[in-house]
Amino acid sequence: MPMSTRRSALVLALSLAVPLGASRALAQGASDGEWTMPSKDYSASRFSGLAQITPATVKSLHPVWTFSTGTLGGHEGQPLVVNNTMYVVTPYPNVLYAFDLTKDGYPLKWKYRPPVDPNALGIACCDAVNRGAVYANGKIVYNLLDGHTVAIDAVTGKELWNTKIADLAQGETTPMAPFVVKNRVLVGASGGEFGILGWVKGLDLATGKIAWTATNIGPDSLVLAKSGTFKAFYDKGAQLGQTTWPADTWKHGGAPVWGWMSYDPELDLVYYGVGNPGPYNADQRMGDNKWTASVLARHPGDGSLVWAYQFTPHDSWDFDAAAEMVLVDLTVKGKMRKALVHFDKNGFAYTMDRATGEVILAEPYVHVNWASKIDLATGRPVLNDAKATGASKGNVKDICPTLEGGKSPASPVAYSPVTKLFYASTNSMCMDYAAVQTAHLAGTPFMGINSPYHAGSDPNMGAFIAWDASTGKRAWEIKEKFPVWSGSLATRGNVVFYGTLDGWFKAANATTGAVLWRFKVGSGVVGDPITFTGADGKQYVAIYAGIGGDWLLLSGDYKSDDPADIRDPADFARDLARHTSQGGIVWIFAL
Amino acid sequence: MTRSSSRVLVALLFLAVIVGGCREQSAAPAAAAKSNDSENALVISRHDDRVFAGGLMPPAERVVNTEAHNAKAAEEGATLFTSMNCDGCHGGGAVGAVGPSLTDGRWRYGGADADIYRSIAEGRPKGMPSFGGALQPAMIWRLVAYIKSLPAPKDAPTESW
Repeated sequence: MPMSTRRSALVLALSLAVPLGASRALAQGASDGEWTMPSKDYSASRFSGLAQITPATVKSLHPVWTFSTGTLGGHEGQPLVVNNTMYVVTPYPNVLYAFDLTKDGYPLKWKYRPPVDPNALGIACCDAVNRGAVYANGKIVYNLLDGHTVAIDAVTGKELWNTKIADLAQGETTPMAPFVVKNRVLVGASGGEFGILGWVKGLDLATGKIAWTATNIGPDSLVLAKSGTFKAFYDKGAQLGQTTWPADTWKHGGAPVWGWMSYDPELDLVYYGVGNPGPYNADQRMGDNKWTASVLARHPGDGSLVWAYQFTPHDSWDFDAAAEMVLVDLTVKGKMRKALVHFDKNGFAYTMDRATGEVILAEPYVHVNWASKIDLATGRPVLNDAKATGASKGNVKDICPTLEGGKSPASPVAYSPVTKLFYASTNSMCMDYAAVQTAHLAGTPFMGINSPYHAGSDPNMGAFIAWDASTGKRAWEIKEKFPVWSGSLATRGNVVFYGTLDGWFKAANATTGAVLWRFKVGSGVVGDPITFTGADGKQYVAIYAGIGGDWLLLSGDYKSDDPADIRDPADFARDLARHTSQGGIVWIFAL
Repeated sequence: MTRSSSRVLVALLFLAVIVGGCREQSAAPAAAAKSNDSENALVISRHDDRVFAGGLMPPAERVVNTEAHNAKAAEEGATLFTSMNCDGCHGGGAVGAVGPSLTDGRWRYGGADADIYRSIAEGRPKGMPSFGGALQPAMIWRLVAYIKSLPAPKDAPTESW
C-alpha cells in the first residue's frame, strides 16, 4: 500500500538521520542524490528514493559516460558519489580516481596511487578485488589489498592517514570496504583460506589510530565478550569462541570478515558476518567452531560483543556468513519486528530479531540438501548426515549449494520499502567435496580440499530473485544461464537493477520481475549498481563491468595479474569465455 | 650442504634433470633455436625465459642438485607439494589457482632447474613465500623434480566450447 510504504521509508530516513544529525556522513547516507557508503545507508538497503527512472521510462536508458580502469581484477563493489564527484577504487593496485560530475565529460579531478605490496596478489584467495570506499567527514576511506587502511581528503586527493591493519605474513589481506559509524572506522581481514585468526578493528576516523581489536574466535578476552554485555539468544556459557574448538585450533581457525556491515543507531549495534573456519577439512576442528559462519553484533565505540548467532555450526562446506545483514522493520507472523535479514551462503535466508539474535524464520532460497531446515527452537540446522564432509568421509558428492554460496556474499541484496521485497542474485549449483588432512604453515594456504562444482537440478545456474522476508517465500525470479554475481539496486521508481556474468546490465520491474531493459557492458558484472542525481538534476545509474573475484570465474581466460597465465575453463561454465573477457569499465547511464 | 658452497658443473645439472624425472622434451623449434647449447638445460617453454644482453648467456646456475641420483625424487616431491601447501595456491596437479600454473610451459621467473629452485627457496614478489627456511635443499630439489615431471603442456585451446 502506498501510504504505509511512504511511512516506512520516512521512518527509515528519520531513524538514520536523527542520532547522528550532525554527522555529514549520515545526513548524506539518507540523501538519495548521493551514494556515500557502499550499501547506500546504515541499514544496508541499497535502496534509493530516486524515481525518474520507472518501468515506463527505463526503455530510454542509455550510456552517457565510460571509463577504463586499466586493471583486470574482478570489479566488485561500487563507486561513490559525493558533492558531484564520483570516486572509483580499482582492484589492485587500488588506485582512487575522483571525477568531476559538473563538467562535460566528467574530467578527472585527481587520482591517488598508493604503494601496495604485490605480495598481496598471491595471498588474496580470490582475485585482487576491492569492495569500495566510504565517505565520512570530508574523507574517502578505503582498504588497500595489502593490509592498510587509508584516508584521503575528498577535495584534494591528499593522503591524510595510512594505517597498517593486517599482516600479509599471517595470510591476511583486506579487500573489504570499511564501514564508518560516528568516529569509528570498522575494518576486517580476509584469509579464511590461510589460517588467520579473524578480527574486526575499530579505527579513529580523525587519526587512523587503532582504538580496539576484537577477534571473532578465541577466548572472551580477545572476542571482547564481556559478562553482563554479551548474551547469545541460543548459546549459553562463556568462552564459546574457545571451548568449541579442539585445543588451540582456534588460533588458526580463519573467521575472516570481508562483506558489508550495517548499523542500528537506536541499539547502537554494528552487524557483520564472519566467514568460514579453517581448515576446510572439518575433521581437524571438531566442535561448533564459534563464531565462524556467524553474525556478530557489537557496539562500535569499544567493540564489545552484544550478541552472536552461528548460521552453520561446524561448517564443513565453506559456508561463510560474510554476506550483508539488512536491517528492516517487518511484520512477521502478525507482529512488527525490528528485523535483520541475511541470505547465507548455506542456502537459507534468515529473518532475525536484530535486538536479540533470535531467528524468526529461515527458509531455503535456493535448492538445499545439506540440511532439511533450521530448527527455530534451537537455532540449529537439522543436518543431512550424508552431506557432512571431512577427510575421514572421502569425496562427498552432490552437496547443494556450493561453497560459492546460494548467493555470493560479494553480491549484496537490495530491499525496497515500496514492494517490501528483497532482491538477490543467486547461484544454482552443487558440489563434490573431498577434504584432506593439512598442516598450518604461516603465509601459506590452510585448506585441505578438492571441490569441483556442477550445475544443480536446474539447468540455469543462476537467477535474480525477489524474496519476501516476512514469509520466507520467493515472489518472482528471473532465470539466468550463468550464476549471478552482481549486487542489486532497488529504487522508488520501482525499477531494480543487476548484472550478469555474460555481461548484461539489466533493469526489471520490481513488482513483477519483468525485464524492461538491458545493455551489454563489455565484461561480466560482479559489481554493485548505484544511482544518483547529477548536477543537472537528472537521475543516473552507474555500474562496474569487469569479471573476476574468483579464479573459477576466469573461465578460460587468464589470471588477472598475468595475461600469459592462461587457465582452463571453469568446470561449471566451460563456455563462459565465449560471452565475456576481463577488463574493468565504469559505466554511467541516463534517460 | 649450504647453498653457497653448492657449486657443480652445468653438465651435472643437466644430468640431474634427467635422473630427477624431468619430462623429456621434444625440442620445439623456437626453444631449440634459443637453447642450442643443451648443456644449459633450459626447460622448453612457450615464452623465452629471459633476454641475454649482447646475446651472452651468463655462467649457468651452479647449485648442486643433491637429489640427482634419487630416482624417487619426483614422487617424494609430489608428497611435499601437498604437505607444504603448495597445492593450496598452485592447485592440485599444479594447474594454477591463486598462484600460477606450473604445467603450462610459461615461467614468470625462469623454468630452468636452478630458477625453480630459487623461486621455492627465496620466494618471488607476487606472493610466493620463501621456503628456504622451512625446507632443506634436498627437499626443494625433490619439489623441482616433481614440478618438472608434470605432463607436458597442451596447446592452449582457442576454442573450448
